[in-house]
Amino acid sequence: MESSDIRITQHPILDFPDRRKIKFYWEGKELEGYEGEPIASALHAAGIKVLHKSLKQGCPRGFFCAIGNCSSCLVVVDGVPNVRACTEKLRAGMRVEMQEGVGPVPASKE
Amino acid sequence: MKTTADAVVIGGGVVGAAIAYNLAKYGLKNIVLCEKDTFASGSTGRCGAGVREQWGAEGNIRMCKAAIDIFENLQEELEYDYDIEFVQKGYLMLAYIEKEWEQFNVNIKVQHKLGVNAVALTPQEAREIVPTLNTEGLYGATFNARDGHANPFHTTRAYLKAFERLGGEVCFFTEVTGIEKTNGRIQGVKTTKGDISAPVVVNAAGPWAAPVASMVGVDLPVYTERHQILVTEPVGRLFDPMLMSFSRGFYSQQTPHGSVVMGIGDPNEPKGYDIGHSWQFLRRMCDIMCSVVPALEGVRVVRQWSGLYTISPDAHPILGTVPGIDGYYHAVGFSGHGFMLAPIVGKVIAEMILDKELSIDISGLDLGRFERGDLRVEPSVV
Repeated sequence: MESSDIRITQHPILDFPDRRKIKFYWEGKELEGYEGEPIASALHAAGIKVLHKSLKQGCPRGFFCAIGNCSSCLVVVDGVPNVRACTEKLRAGMRVEMQEGVGPVPASKE
Repeated sequence: MKTTADAVVIGGGVVGAAIAYNLAKYGLKNIVLCEKDTFASGSTGRCGAGVREQWGAEGNIRMCKAAIDIFENLQEELEYDYDIEFVQKGYLMLAYIEKEWEQFNVNIKVQHKLGVNAVALTPQEAREIVPTLNTEGLYGATFNARDGHANPFHTTRAYLKAFERLGGEVCFFTEVTGIEKTNGRIQGVKTTKGDISAPVVVNAAGPWAAPVASMVGVDLPVYTERHQILVTEPVGRLFDPMLMSFSRGFYSQQTPHGSVVMGIGDPNEPKGYDIGHSWQFLRRMCDIMCSVVPALEGVRVVRQWSGLYTISPDAHPILGTVPGIDGYYHAVGFSGHGFMLAPIVGKVIAEMILDKELSIDISGLDLGRFERGDLRVEPSVV
């Protein structure tokens, strides 16, 4: 089964406009997603469910509240930690990494 | 709630909790602690929670040294199930103007005399301790590895739990509304949950110390002032020691959890009980700390709050008895450093109440010093 098959295409209330297919990176590996969809949506469609490792024991954490509230899906995006994969929109070329615990110090702007 | 007690402690912050615990530890049986809200809800739970020996005045250095001795074993002494998160990664005191640097060099001589092993550092040496530090504009720094910070909620709770195990009674949401006194002797307290008769009353009411003291006719020369503070999201290690500067007015620590707590004094802050917070603080705080540790620039603030300093005329606490009122004790006016003094103050106030030999001399910290004109001088307060 192709991974994109898990996407909902019809919904009684929501519309799914056509979006541009783009490339981004998960842990250095190139993946495809739709521009502007939540990062977590693109990762789930690609079969990636572990997004974060917990603070104290390093247990796997993934998509949970889906509304930017629970901190379960925190990932590192382009060197910036604590990005909520469920609410952050996907952009072309984004480098997304799994966040281990509190994550790294944010990359400097210089 | 008991209606008679051997002692009533007013205030469920870290100072009240430490006094109550030490009284119970020394064997006093019927002790009630009254707190109008919940534990650590006044100044304690809002504080920056630093603990340092690097003071300018001998009295403060001696007391904080004794407090750190206790902090080092507090977790075990109180048999606390959780972690009070006492971490000794030092304080790095940063001097940005010549006058501040000169003061640090005076302070360090006093510290050395009293056995504190602080060292004076060049900006480059300071950067070796904190590699993320921006040394621009820095004259020099002093560092003392024995300084650190602890979790104020856990520390207070640890004291209260140990106090309760020793038979003490903790009453939250119980506000003391009056103190009974006849012929110069304390008779007990009136509270919103009923009266307690007791021969000893301890005022550890933090910001509300002056209104409580006025219940026995004591006029405390203290005032309250809002100090604002914020916390960031947790991130990887940015710096280990507490960073502090008097000329720039800030202090900042990264908690064991990874979030960064920071506060800054405002010279234009009016006196009062306001504990609202402002965007102006947020802006000023972030500007200053991002210049000190530029890596903070990409770190998000998650929350800001404020708390009250209860400031005495010489920025030293007011401890002990008041002549003419038998059974009244106070530990008040900590001027922003009550948390770090609490372990030793709790011990020594309990010793005073029980007529034991005092662990440390606090005779110069009585209320009478203001009338005598015998003020302490502390040059190093944020």
